[in-house]
Amino acid sequence: MNLEADGRVPLRELALLFGRIGLLSFGGGLTAWVHRETVVRRPWLDDKEFLSALMLAQILPGSNVVNLTIYIGRRLRGPVGALVSVVALLVPPMALVVVIAALCASLMADATVHHALEGVAAGAAGMTLSVGVRSLRAAMGGRVWPLAVGVGVVAAIGLMRWPLVPTVAAAALAAFALAWRARTHAR
Amino acid sequence: MRASVLWDLAAVFAPLSLLAFGGGQSIVADIDHQALAHGWMTQAQFVDLFAISRAAPGPGALLATLVGWKAAGWVGAAVASLALFVPSSLLAYAMAALWRRFDGHPAAHAIETALAPVAAGLLAAGAVAVVRASSGSLVVWAIAGVALAIFMARPKLNPLAVLAAAGAAGALLG
Repeated sequence: MNLEADGRVPLRELALLFGRIGLLSFGGGLTAWVHRETVVRRPWLDDKEFLSALMLAQILPGSNVVNLTIYIGRRLRGPVGALVSVVALLVPPMALVVVIAALCASLMADATVHHALEGVAAGAAGMTLSVGVRSLRAAMGGRVWPLAVGVGVVAAIGLMRWPLVPTVAAAALAAFALAWRARTHAR
Repeated sequence: MRASVLWDLAAVFAPLSLLAFGGGQSIVADIDHQALAHGWMTQAQFVDLFAISRAAPGPGALLATLVGWKAAGWVGAAVASLALFVPSSLLAYAMAALWRRFDGHPAAHAIETALAPVAAGLLAAGAVAVVRASSGSLVVWAIAGVALAIFMARPKLNPLAVLAAAGAAGALLG
């Protein structure tokens, strides 16, 4: 990895990286791509900070991966870094998606194309799940309560489709209570 | 006429920007409703655009770009995109700055520790919701399961190879 003389990540590298994620993330799964490129392959963030940034991105309104990208761009290169990263993430796929819509909207109705796209989306979902499992493992750090909270959120929102905002609020309160209890017991 | 379409696009998407809790999915129904009410497209055209926004690379929120393009060409695409992404992005920037100011504070540490599993669970729940929103067939679940196993075993593997194989599996078995 190339760093600038003062040890900062070059803006060019941010632009190329987020541009690549924007253009290659077929079927979705962008958060998993961001995790792979900024935590697994580059030492820019550790799992703990990634999760903290992801939490902030999820709580705030707007696309989660856009919010996450703004956090990371800002963290690495300040306001300009945030701007460069988010523009690189959004503008290339914006142009591409319009070209796709102009050229091959009718292709989407084809059964084989439809099944192939479903397969790609399922593959991207598997990639996202792997980051979820890894992150949950990192969040546990040898404790049991984070596992209970994480699995509870997956069951409530992913499987039972409870409404997002009240469910997350309840899960957060439960997590605070459990973390507090674990802390006082440890003393 | 044209200016009024652009104004309508901004007026539809800018408020939705700050209402899109839980990512882009929560506002799809409202975008659909508004696109039809303004006469920008038919329901069938909206379904096509939605499918393209999911399949193409980039965030699903690029649906807004497509709706803007359908309503008013490239300028419409730019206006709708800016209206959807700028307000929430400014808020995210401000909150990221605020959050970093409390870095290292004991209360911030306690919040991070408590909410980390919620964030991980939400990420996984989003992936489960994507699979369920598709045909949800056994093949689709199997592809997601195999991809999960591969990415757990080899986190540094290039995802494109796995995604291409997943697409081929979907086409052949689906």
